[in-house]
Amino acid sequence: MKYLNKNTLLIALLFSGFACTDLEEDLNDSLTERQDVNNPGFGASTNVNGSIPNDGLTPAFSTIRNGVAWHGSYFSVSEISTDEAVITQKGGDWFDGGIWLNMHRHDFRSTNPGLNGAWGDIYGGVAQCNNLLGEGGLSDNAVAQLRVLRAYYFWKLMDMFGNIKLTVTAGVDVPQSTRTEAFNFIEAEILAVVDDLGEGRADYGRISQGAAYALLARLYLNAEVYTGTARWQDAIDAADMVINSGNYDLDYTYQEGPDGRMVSAVFSPDNVDNIEHILVAPFDEATGGGMNLAQMTLHYPSQLTYDLQEQPWNGYSTLEEFYNSYDDADMRKDANFIAGPQTDINGNPILDVAFDKADPDGAPINYTPAINELAPNGSRQAGARLGKFSFKLGQINDMDNDYTLLRYGDVLLMKAEALCRRDGNWANAEAISLVNMIRDRAGLDGYTTMTEDTFFAERGREMFQESIRRTDLIRFRRWGNEWWEKDSYAFDYNDYRAIMPIPLDQINASAAGIQLEQNPGYN
Amino acid sequence: MKKYLLLGLSLILGASLWAQERTITGTVTDAETGESVPGANVVVKGTTNGTITDFDGKYQISVGSDAVLVFTFVGYSPSEVEVGNRSVVNVGLNLDVEELAEVVVVGYGSQQKKEITSSVVALDEKEFNKGNINDPTQLLQGKVPGLSVYNKGGDPNSTSTIRLRGISTVGANTEPLVVIDGVIGASLQNVDPNDIESINVLKDGSAAAIYGSRGSSGVILVTTKKGKRGGGVTANYNGYVAAATILNEQPVMSASEYLAAGGNDLGAQTDWQDEVTRTGVSNVHNIAISGGAENTTFRLSTNFRDINGILDKSGFDQINARANISHYALNDKLKINFNMSLTNRKSNYSFNEALRYAALYNPTAPVRFDNGEFFQAVLFDNFNPKAILEQNINDGKKKELNFNIMAEYNITDALSFTVNYGQQYDNTLNGEFYPSTSFFRGLNRTGLARRYTEDGRFSLVEGYGTYSAKFSSVDMTVSAGYSYQENFREGLLLELGNFPTDDLGYYGIDLSGNRVLGLASNVNVDSWATPDEKIIAFFGRANFTIDDAIFLNASVRREGSTKLGVDNQWGIFPALGAGVDLNKYLALTGVDILKLRVGYGVTGSLPPASGYSKQGVGYGFNEGGAFSVTRDANPDLKWEEKTEINLGVDFGLMSKLTGSVDVYTRNVSDFLQLFTPEASGGGNTTPYWNNIGSLTTNGAEISLNYDAVTTPDLTWTTGVVASSYKSTLDDFIVDIPTVVGNLGAPGQNSTFMIRVAEGEDIGQIWGPVYDYVDENGAPVMKDLNGDGEIVADQGSALAENGDFEVLGNGLPALELGWTNQVTYKNWDFNAFFRGAFGHSLVNTYRAFYEPIDPGAINSYNRIKSDKAVDGLTVSQFSSLYVERADFFKLDNVTVGYNFDMSNSSAFKSIRLYANIQNAFVITNYSGIDPEPVLQDRGALDNGARFDPANQNVLAPGIDRRYNYFTARTFTFGVNIGF
Repeated sequence: MKYLNKNTLLIALLFSGFACTDLEEDLNDSLTERQDVNNPGFGASTNVNGSIPNDGLTPAFSTIRNGVAWHGSYFSVSEISTDEAVITQKGGDWFDGGIWLNMHRHDFRSTNPGLNGAWGDIYGGVAQCNNLLGEGGLSDNAVAQLRVLRAYYFWKLMDMFGNIKLTVTAGVDVPQSTRTEAFNFIEAEILAVVDDLGEGRADYGRISQGAAYALLARLYLNAEVYTGTARWQDAIDAADMVINSGNYDLDYTYQEGPDGRMVSAVFSPDNVDNIEHILVAPFDEATGGGMNLAQMTLHYPSQLTYDLQEQPWNGYSTLEEFYNSYDDADMRKDANFIAGPQTDINGNPILDVAFDKADPDGAPINYTPAINELAPNGSRQAGARLGKFSFKLGQINDMDNDYTLLRYGDVLLMKAEALCRRDGNWANAEAISLVNMIRDRAGLDGYTTMTEDTFFAERGREMFQESIRRTDLIRFRRWGNEWWEKDSYAFDYNDYRAIMPIPLDQINASAAGIQLEQNPGYN
Repeated sequence: MKKYLLLGLSLILGASLWAQERTITGTVTDAETGESVPGANVVVKGTTNGTITDFDGKYQISVGSDAVLVFTFVGYSPSEVEVGNRSVVNVGLNLDVEELAEVVVVGYGSQQKKEITSSVVALDEKEFNKGNINDPTQLLQGKVPGLSVYNKGGDPNSTSTIRLRGISTVGANTEPLVVIDGVIGASLQNVDPNDIESINVLKDGSAAAIYGSRGSSGVILVTTKKGKRGGGVTANYNGYVAAATILNEQPVMSASEYLAAGGNDLGAQTDWQDEVTRTGVSNVHNIAISGGAENTTFRLSTNFRDINGILDKSGFDQINARANISHYALNDKLKINFNMSLTNRKSNYSFNEALRYAALYNPTAPVRFDNGEFFQAVLFDNFNPKAILEQNINDGKKKELNFNIMAEYNITDALSFTVNYGQQYDNTLNGEFYPSTSFFRGLNRTGLARRYTEDGRFSLVEGYGTYSAKFSSVDMTVSAGYSYQENFREGLLLELGNFPTDDLGYYGIDLSGNRVLGLASNVNVDSWATPDEKIIAFFGRANFTIDDAIFLNASVRREGSTKLGVDNQWGIFPALGAGVDLNKYLALTGVDILKLRVGYGVTGSLPPASGYSKQGVGYGFNEGGAFSVTRDANPDLKWEEKTEINLGVDFGLMSKLTGSVDVYTRNVSDFLQLFTPEASGGGNTTPYWNNIGSLTTNGAEISLNYDAVTTPDLTWTTGVVASSYKSTLDDFIVDIPTVVGNLGAPGQNSTFMIRVAEGEDIGQIWGPVYDYVDENGAPVMKDLNGDGEIVADQGSALAENGDFEVLGNGLPALELGWTNQVTYKNWDFNAFFRGAFGHSLVNTYRAFYEPIDPGAINSYNRIKSDKAVDGLTVSQFSSLYVERADFFKLDNVTVGYNFDMSNSSAFKSIRLYANIQNAFVITNYSGIDPEPVLQDRGALDNGARFDPANQNVLAPGIDRRYNYFTARTFTFGVNIGF
């Protein structure tokens, strides 16, 4: 006991003072639970966007923008796999492992990051719908909107990937469903809640019955592709619900953009709550980011034409054949494309000092619709650029244009097509009159008669850059056709290329839950 | 005890006993003092026949004819004597000064070197690397087998990547734990290399386990210089001036070569690399005063560094001051240490991007237009490098302060208690400004300013008691203690653009037009803080020394962290070690020491960020603002655990050669990585930290030291360290192989170059094999699987029919260091060679810019190399760009002269020296620097910023385009003692 003197006691006291074992983690800078917003709606008053309702649904609805107008996701896959857009390899630029060349040539790979981007972006939206639905306490209308939004996401997934997981409960993994099961689920979801939706125009950025019926029309129009069973009359009925509602109309307005083009008000930076809109991704430079189409399509020095804040990438352009499918009198030709010599904001030519020696235009930039080749040395200045969602001066990387997901013009064309297909007659008079509404708005004479080819061409011209060309090419059985540098192959609805491969990253990550199986025909 | 042991051995091997013929007697004494040495070993060489001396140093042994007796005793050099026909053999043993003195600092205490059973390397000042060294880790580069220190290029403002024994963790902290004067987690940036007395590296798990969750990547123990008791006051001045010159430039085309290759002529001839670089002249001064009275010692030092790098404007000014004070009280029973250090650094980070654009900019472009404005071309990833440096500002200040008070109280000779309290603060304040005229980051923002500040506080309270006892031939030391660590960091970022004037630089950030125009994406604000991150631990250790030749060590630490799931917060980290001084029993002739040791230890790693066991909720400004659940909780988040077994031999031969050999196997289980969940798995999609795999590293290390010449006028000591390891991914959450490490823009996105697969080595560079160039100038790859079809697009990297193979490994197979120290009279000479072998690098400069691409040559100059293929015009990743990067270099060489100051009253010593760092490099690598790249920062294009949190250790071997150019540095210095 001789060690037990006062010093020992002092030290023992000191040690007992240390004996803290509390490991509570008090986070200073991260939230772990959803909160009420103190000042809901602050954003709506300070931006050029419309007024988005304070209905608590924003966590889900804000995901509607994800990937629909951004590189490397749904937009890229929907456009580059078709005959309306391409990313050429420009020497050392834009080869990128051949992913966009493969996509354009229909050599679809499960490693393509665009597919993974689309899958992740859309399922991220599904998760947010499930989070809100799981929390409960919502009005019938709110529940209906969320279920239709989720059904819309599932439609995109089912349309692109076929065999998807129908996850409807937050945190609960489920096995993959077949395409037909997914179709039936989507249809049942919409029909179950459509009566709980508002009958008039939806609140800005939200869903009313118009969107639900327009989505149903799109679902039924493609039913034969999805399930093998055509549903033409159902498509017509659903389209009629939209048309007869009186909530929507065609907008004939064309206005001058900063580059001197006459652009359509339906797609312009100030297109908030346009009369033609049924469902949009409400982009806004301040409170709704995620649209950088200017960066994706313009050549580097075009930064000076629009005084862009970020340098463009010189990526996307349209195919010459597609550009030439527009009549010169077609107002949409000028509105949809940026072509010809380019100038800065003072009207001086803009130069590419790294111009190709073979380019007859030399350094001054001239977007020629003709493109010399897809790869490996596509000319830097070749190709008309994508300009339907037009640009504004001094634009930042987040554009202001609302992206049209469902719109009145599309519904008119869907009904026209369903009528023709139901009757097996492309010269159906009602259909022609519907199509002529669209042609009239474009400043063109109406068709007096119509064929499958002329209808398809008109639909292509009208729906350019709206991410629906892929679905249309498949439905018209033209997915396997030859165009420009893409070879033809025999195609029917059962061809494995009618759906994309499940992204490899997702299959890998699914090992932690219920394993995803790759679609047939892909490895 | 030994007698019994020997008796046992003798009985088993009894035959030798029967061969005895006669009896020898004698006395063993200390050669210097003449005092007898009791307990010394006396062994007949080559046999197990032996005895020990009695209390008076006397012995008696039976030997055969032609016997040689070997006399050994702890602390003395062994002695061998031929018996001949003598019957009395008296021996005087010489003290082995070196061995006696070597007390090695280990965790929470120190041990005699011979008692250590783990792999520990101790380096003192004279073994450190020489030259213009600003980062203490550089002192160790190449000196410690198994410790990899690489600072590619040597940017004065960047710190080295350090790895001990390869990859110890995937997602957690890969850098060793630093302990300075007993303070865990102290900052090496707050210690001036001039003030370091010794550095000990705890390499294996059995040594590091006492540090628990922070010890997995090894432990570096730094001891700073102290005053000596009763030593009087001495002063020292060390100063040098250094000049850094470019060792290697990117080999690019001159203006005439460029035009001949088809580039567009912009009318001028500019050597861009010359435009942005310089000879960087640095000055370093260190003054230290140390002294000691009877009860108090002190050492005060001040260090001034004015460092300038080879990239124009890059460098820093730094003042560091350190005070170490010790006081002894209560008849030396109480010892109080007080250490304090302050560093104040003002850096100009400059823009490393300028080096990249200098290599690639059109060599016919003028620096400026005739009107004086900088030439610029509006092209992707293409900026006038001179303009980047001249127009923009990127600087900052960092202050670090730490202090600790340690009190050690010896209640008795056997029992002591130690209490240590320390705090460390750091504060960073950076500023960037890009005026409205700058294309780089500022274009069309009408100016861009960025301010960033970060503040950290770390507190440590530790206490432990140590009890020593001796039972007959067993020495025992037992310790037990408690540790409390708390870490808190916070920061603020402000980035705004659109300024009415450029004249105020970043100080004018309050004039930003973005304040009124108010776009969220133009107003970049981040205010962040960690929680109080706590680590609490209880630990204990017991050391036993049996018979002064068998050593047993055991420790255990129970530790908890706030960062983990509630049920997984606490972990137990045990260690066991055993060693035996075999020569004590074998008594081999010419063998001074032969120690076998084995160690086993468990250490941990923590996720780098807090809060991941809980659900994450984010706020989006979108559409009026909303909170949404973005990340699922991971309540299962737990330690990453490393189990390591180390087997080692220490030996000394003929008092000239010493060395160690270590082999080890380390298994890391439940390694941590940021995991991206399946989007369609029903949950949220934001990545979270998760325990997702395991890996094994096996390795071997050797170090040899040889006193080749030891005459009074001339000495030459040479030493070699070598290490080799191989890491294998045993288990991964992804069952099938994946590829990582994207090459990037322009044109080579989705080009993943490193293969990651269960059961395979880490660091495999993976790609198609170049065969020939076709008529379009495109590369044609080899049909590796012979199926008649070439499938070499990157999307097929892992396809069954893909033609891909391993093109090299990013991690070196062998790392080597070779030290030479020579003294001749007053001259001293030091040469250190270093090499790494077996690793490959993807030369990304060549992969992008070597083919004469008619489209790209107008945007980017071309890289020249002897590996270029004539006629190739398409840049596409393949084996062409994967190069073996073996190298051997004269890392640093010093010549010094010590003046004879015996007649001087003013000076005690004066030494002048000259040094060259990177004197020469032998390598076949065509890039700038063949040193391995241990982890990947990803492709950073078009002015994108580097995110330190985003580095992939599974993707080594990619030599990216943002590395600083390597310097060759000439240093002239003086050391003066007063």
